[in-house]
Amino acid sequence: MSNRRWRYVLSCEVLLMVASGAAQSGIGPGYDVELLGPPLADPVMQYNKESYVVYGCAYCHGVNLVPVGERPDLRQSALVGADVDGNLIVGILRAGIPQTSKLSPMPQYSDLSEQQLHAIATWIHYARQRDRYASLTQAALPPGNAAAGRAYFEQTCTACHSAGGDLAGIGKKYEPAALLAQILEPAALNTDRSFTLDRLRDTRTMAARRRHQSLLENYSVEQVTNLVTYLQGPT
Amino acid sequence: MYSRREFGKVVLAGIPPLAILTSGAPQAQLAGRPNRSRINGVQFGLQPFCYHDLPMTPENRGTLIKRLVQNGFGMVELHATWVEPRFATAGVSVQEARERLRRWRLTAPPDFYRSIRREFDDAGVVIFTYYVNVDDSYVDAEIDAMFAGAKLLGAQGCVGSQGLRITQRLAAFPGKHGMFMSVHNHANLSDPDALNNEASFLKALSFSPHVKATLDTRHYTAANGDCLEFLARHHARMSSVHLGDRRRNNGRSTPFGEGDSPIIQILRMIRDNEWPVVALLEFEHGTLRTGVEEVQLMFDYCKRAVA
Repeated sequence: MSNRRWRYVLSCEVLLMVASGAAQSGIGPGYDVELLGPPLADPVMQYNKESYVVYGCAYCHGVNLVPVGERPDLRQSALVGADVDGNLIVGILRAGIPQTSKLSPMPQYSDLSEQQLHAIATWIHYARQRDRYASLTQAALPPGNAAAGRAYFEQTCTACHSAGGDLAGIGKKYEPAALLAQILEPAALNTDRSFTLDRLRDTRTMAARRRHQSLLENYSVEQVTNLVTYLQGPT
Repeated sequence: MYSRREFGKVVLAGIPPLAILTSGAPQAQLAGRPNRSRINGVQFGLQPFCYHDLPMTPENRGTLIKRLVQNGFGMVELHATWVEPRFATAGVSVQEARERLRRWRLTAPPDFYRSIRREFDDAGVVIFTYYVNVDDSYVDAEIDAMFAGAKLLGAQGCVGSQGLRITQRLAAFPGKHGMFMSVHNHANLSDPDALNNEASFLKALSFSPHVKATLDTRHYTAANGDCLEFLARHHARMSSVHLGDRRRNNGRSTPFGEGDSPIIQILRMIRDNEWPVVALLEFEHGTLRTGVEEVQLMFDYCKRAVA
């Protein structure tokens, strides 16, 4: 990660943590728990969610991305799936989508700060990941194809993993459901980022977390069932 | 001195218990009494789309009426989805659901609409307009049925967001029913058929004297229109304003007073000129509060404007 990019990510995260104090003020009398759901354990993500709601995104796209009426379903959006840290979403939020065949164009949010726009983008990704995780772990998945799983693994995972190396025997270590959960959200990455000085520049872990989050919100049923089948085989 | 939001909270805390308010206002009283949301000469009402936490279904109509009373409204613009049965259910194709809805509309007994009107009458709420978005799938008999149903509900007219082409077709219908058809603008400046500025409104109004304007102040502002100029020129052809706030240049919706729509000036123009233009609150800015609380805050803002 470049120094400039590193500084940017750090500043975003710190600002969001500071802003979480303000987020807390929204939880209390007047907070519509029935519509918005209970406050999240992570106050920063709660702030992101509140930003998404307060600036009006939920009116069309739904609090948890279940769209209202015929509005675009962000859970299925290829653009959102291709976005990395808001590099696509923030630009669209800033400019809006004035040219449209729909009754009302998407408004522009150029009056919001970079932090506010990134908070919205972060919530969109988080909600998408939670939705995809739920749909992939709660549904009865079809049998997978090991050969297809191997092809997907070699195309997508081998930059960091090896089926005969760091992942050797993983199919025997985990039951299929647990293996699926590990593929979707590796437990080793499912922790808060540390800001201790010795880990401040741990770009490898940050990149891995980001990569797996991106994979999670884009996985298809076939891809994960094929992966599970492949990794459960004799690797 | 209270801020706008603090003031709203204080007022909200003083809302009487729902049970007292919904004990029922007899129809005779409704006819004889001033409407509860007529304030200093301005008739307020609500587009209940504002209750973002209440799906617009017939099953939720009772809750809607309670909320309207709780928020102090005596007038409503009723969207057809609060009235008509749903045919788009699992296993029913879109085409089949549309055909069933058409058959229902053509055969719905008058008492169906009368009984719904009674629900609102009993709560002291007047149905000012009936909101339906007409498209090419509507046959003429269905459009007549729409106006006939709206009249049975007590509405003075129908409102929709259809474009100029459909409006031209619709223009022949309201006069037959002694009603008006009001056209509602959005902020789509890329569609030549859209209602989005003064010129498109004038085109729509030229189709028939029974066509009226519902000026949506949010979208008109977002499309960089001048709401006050529009009111000054065309108030005689306006049935209502959809009152809400947005920022210019296709900006976002905001709580009242935080955008570029001149809400206070609009209300005072209506009040001081004694124009029979109904002010229907309609907004879609985000909020963490319940729909009832947010509607109350926005209504309180309007009340202060005409106090």
